[in-house]
Amino acid sequence: MSNGTLKGGNGRDAVDRTGPRVSGQQRAASRRWSRRTLLSALLIVLVIPATILLGVFVLDDRKYYFVSLLIILYTLVPFALVFENRKPQARELIVIAVLAAIAVAGRAAFFMVPQFKPVVAIVIIAGVSFGAEAGFLVGATAGFVSNFFFGQGPWTPWQMFCFGIIGFVAGLLYRKGWLKRSRLSLCFFGGLMTLIIYGGIINIGSVMMFTPRFNWQALAAAYATGFWFDLVHAVATVVFLYVLSRPMIEKLDRIKTKYGLVER
Amino acid sequence: MEIYRIENVTFSFPEQTAPALRDVSLRIRSGEFVAVCGRSGCGKSTLLRHLKPALTPHGSREGSILYRGREVGEWDARTQASEIGYVLQSPDNQIVTDKVWHELAFGLESLGVDTPTIRLRVAEMASFFGIQSWFRRDVAELSGGQKQLLNLASIMAMHPSVLVLDEPTSQLDPIAAAEFLGTLSKINRELGTTVVLTEHRLEEVLPLSDRLIVLDAGSVIVDEAPREAGARLRKLDHPMFRSMPSPMRIHAGSGAGGPVPLTVKEGRQWLDSVAGRAIADSGTGEVKEPAGNPDGARRHAKERASGARPAAVELQDVWFKFAKNAPDTIKDLSLRVEEGEFLGLVGGNGTGKTTMLSLIGGLLKPYRGRILVAGQDPAKTSPDKLFRGLLGVLPQNPQSLFVKKTVELDLYEMLDGEKLSEAQKAERIAEVVRFAELEPLLRMHPYDLSGGEQQRAALAKVLLLEPAILLLDEPTKGLDGFFKEKLGELLRKFHEDGKTIVMVSHDIEFCAKHAKRCSMFFDGSVISSNETAAFFAGNSFYTTSANRMARHLDRAAVTEEDVIRLCRTER
Amino acid sequence: MRRDAFASYHPVVGFAYFVAVIAFSMLWMHPVLQAISLFGAVVYSQLLRSAKALRFNLLYMLPLLLFAALLNPAFNHAGATILFYLRSGNPVTLESLLYGAAAAVMFVTVLIWFSCYNAVMTSDKFIYLFGRLLPGLSLIFSMVLRFVPRYRNQIGRISLAQRSIGRDATQGSLVRKAQNGMRIVSIMTTWALENAIETADSMKARGYGLPRRTSFSLYRFDRRDRLALGWLAFFAAIVLTGAALGHNAIRFFPSIRMEPATPLSFIVYASYCALCLMPVGIQLVEDFKWKFIASRT
Repeated sequence: MSNGTLKGGNGRDAVDRTGPRVSGQQRAASRRWSRRTLLSALLIVLVIPATILLGVFVLDDRKYYFVSLLIILYTLVPFALVFENRKPQARELIVIAVLAAIAVAGRAAFFMVPQFKPVVAIVIIAGVSFGAEAGFLVGATAGFVSNFFFGQGPWTPWQMFCFGIIGFVAGLLYRKGWLKRSRLSLCFFGGLMTLIIYGGIINIGSVMMFTPRFNWQALAAAYATGFWFDLVHAVATVVFLYVLSRPMIEKLDRIKTKYGLVER
Repeated sequence: MEIYRIENVTFSFPEQTAPALRDVSLRIRSGEFVAVCGRSGCGKSTLLRHLKPALTPHGSREGSILYRGREVGEWDARTQASEIGYVLQSPDNQIVTDKVWHELAFGLESLGVDTPTIRLRVAEMASFFGIQSWFRRDVAELSGGQKQLLNLASIMAMHPSVLVLDEPTSQLDPIAAAEFLGTLSKINRELGTTVVLTEHRLEEVLPLSDRLIVLDAGSVIVDEAPREAGARLRKLDHPMFRSMPSPMRIHAGSGAGGPVPLTVKEGRQWLDSVAGRAIADSGTGEVKEPAGNPDGARRHAKERASGARPAAVELQDVWFKFAKNAPDTIKDLSLRVEEGEFLGLVGGNGTGKTTMLSLIGGLLKPYRGRILVAGQDPAKTSPDKLFRGLLGVLPQNPQSLFVKKTVELDLYEMLDGEKLSEAQKAERIAEVVRFAELEPLLRMHPYDLSGGEQQRAALAKVLLLEPAILLLDEPTKGLDGFFKEKLGELLRKFHEDGKTIVMVSHDIEFCAKHAKRCSMFFDGSVISSNETAAFFAGNSFYTTSANRMARHLDRAAVTEEDVIRLCRTER
Repeated sequence: MRRDAFASYHPVVGFAYFVAVIAFSMLWMHPVLQAISLFGAVVYSQLLRSAKALRFNLLYMLPLLLFAALLNPAFNHAGATILFYLRSGNPVTLESLLYGAAAAVMFVTVLIWFSCYNAVMTSDKFIYLFGRLLPGLSLIFSMVLRFVPRYRNQIGRISLAQRSIGRDATQGSLVRKAQNGMRIVSIMTTWALENAIETADSMKARGYGLPRRTSFSLYRFDRRDRLALGWLAFFAAIVLTGAALGHNAIRFFPSIRMEPATPLSFIVYASYCALCLMPVGIQLVEDFKWKFIASRT
């Protein structure tokens, strides 16, 4: 049960319909996966190349930014649609909202220390406790809503994507057994993800925004100047994971069992 | 017409042997106002949750619950959602969205009502509840009372035929609670909505109720109109009788006959008929003045200023404001609390009581004046020195102290920084556990405790630091009569050890019963202060209901016992 | 923020408007179009946020603009007109300097438009827009917006309660401060999770999860909104036509080249101008009308 994904329905349901429900759930789960895979395949095979072609032929100089921005937005679409289509339960919404709100409040609480933010740590914990999808949604929601407090800008989709994908990968690797619940494993993963995925992608985003004509030197310069910020961010993630991961995962487990949030 | 018919319902939670409800049979007629009461853990919340299948806890159930003649779970989900309204305890937790108007519309959105209809219903509700002026606000800006009113309005927008409320006013101050109950009564009278509620504030609820149901260990022991229910409880000599309104208890205690009074008004009339005649006959015809009042207060103050005992807490001409241009929250406040005193500070919301506690705790600093705690300035004393062995603060919400996953670990956590051996720690904890009667709760998660138990666990945590002075902020908030009694006992024990207590509270009855001295806080300052009995005798409105009932005969009769004695002697 | 006339329009109008101006500002680097957009953005932000906007524009945007303009020639050495050589031997060209300036203007313009967006498109408008499309997610957004102020408030309370048992997160050594800070986060998490269960109950009690949920809002799409949207589409269409005909383009490398200005390009410029100044225009017309009404009574 520890690696159960977040699935609504209260304990009563789980008790009332035991046998047939499990297989039904599994079927639903596999259907869900296949639908997302299908949608993603469609995006990768058709829509993304079309966007790139459009960029190359129509947009000329601005192609890099627009194409990358659109691709980022596309990645959010399948998650959103799959989530909406399966009619999430009240408790699922609540758990995602609570975790995202903790991340946002945490980001706000540490406003005076630049880059020293708990968001990535909380997103990873969400992914590990409630599965890849919940991890993605917590991350993307935290990225989006926090900008209602700090100001929306061209960076919003990039942040949503980065936080989301980190939560997603955390959930996925945990399910595969490559990521453990131990502090060491989580801290290592968290630091690496922050440095490589978050730092890596956000810097590409800002280079695309800043210097319209993409070139490698500019990207290298961006990485060089951004390195210390990214390092602080990674250290923050490691510190937060080191201290918070165990108690938070315990708390989430308690909530899962106490209120029957788990797909058994 | 019957709206609910509950027949022989027995319910047990999974993995628990004792059933939470035992053979409960009840009928609720349409348009009735029914109050349900009982001690914490008697199963009243469980019973209420059975009235709404969406909230029914899981476990095994026997018996049937019919809503309008049909098993309640068999009605389609839409009917269940709209016709059975359910209001929960916490004003804050129930609000889902960030805007008042959106919250009002939430239920209607779920039901799939179209926009023009929602517009109309939301407008109606806002007008009925007086929400117009804050209709477009963020919910974060509302007061607790406004939030609970919003929750009620949001349910009412769905046009329920029955309203189920689980201790809706327990987190509200008395003024907001009275307003909420007034609105509830208005809904019952003017719209004919059936109301079923559990409540601690029976004094205010019983006059509104058609029927009182008392639960004990999952069984219905009383199910009658309030007066008869009171009489029955008394006959059973049941501890719940202690929670009945003062007039009823005085009537019972006096042994005099006559109709049972429920409200202060009825109580006064009854008292007149019993004792008033005797006083008139005795020929004095004058109201008895308590000794030395109001000069008493002045003399009292003078005596205290030159008091023999040293001051535990002393505030001298203290002024405080939250920001440079903000109005003063604390104005020219002077207060002296002697060592070994038990002071109750009463006063309305927003008068600065909590701010004063923060000032004493050194969390805030005055911009003028002096504060001394055991002769030291708390803001300049290191927290280690101040909060270890000197000052203990019990916060309003005990949940803000719990860190660990069991009560026991949480207690140990408190001693983390102390230089004590394991054995010493265990000994100290054992002592506190005994004191606060926590033995059966040690293995539980702090959040699985009831409100009163959480309060005691938090108190135990604070007492582990062995304070000489204890500051309490609204300690009776959300507690039922039983837990209040228990808290009162604990405080008395603590006080009898020679420790000092400063308690801030709305709860007049609790202060009257337990504090040794009381002060009235108003507009950022203490405006009167006296020994408890004399203090309440000197007030006219802000006093216990027993006193309000009897003060035209004897101002000094503050507690129920005083009034009962009055009845006996006059007769 | 003062009351803005354009902000009172239906969220669809506002959102469409900002998507259009921000996308257009990012698309075209033609100097005339850039100047128009920058001007529109600055004037509108001034109108919306007055003193604060001026400080923001001067203090942050101007240095950023200069920095971004100078950054490009350091990396980009294409272009035919060589001005001088850097110490590394790489040339600095006029084209790359101008290109850097244009890119910087674009960046700054977009940021200023976003600052206007943040003032006009408040969270409830956004939630309304996506409420029908993504009901579950927009409800999550609304819940997060509800929880965040509540959690911040609770963090304050917890830290006060912790301070009064001697666990102060504002004093002491860094390690101790951090420890106490983390304890607060931990307490907050438990509190948030445990209390959220009642929130879920309250959602279920009000029928959340029934099929065919609707989405209510206070906004109404009236004649005024239709009109504004119509004009918006009209101007945008002209500008896009101009783009299709190549009037909006500029080529920087190897040498700068633009389409020569024709009467049609002036129509495009005028339309773009009208588009970028639309909110300002609406405000001015409304102010004027109000004065007129006020003077009559």
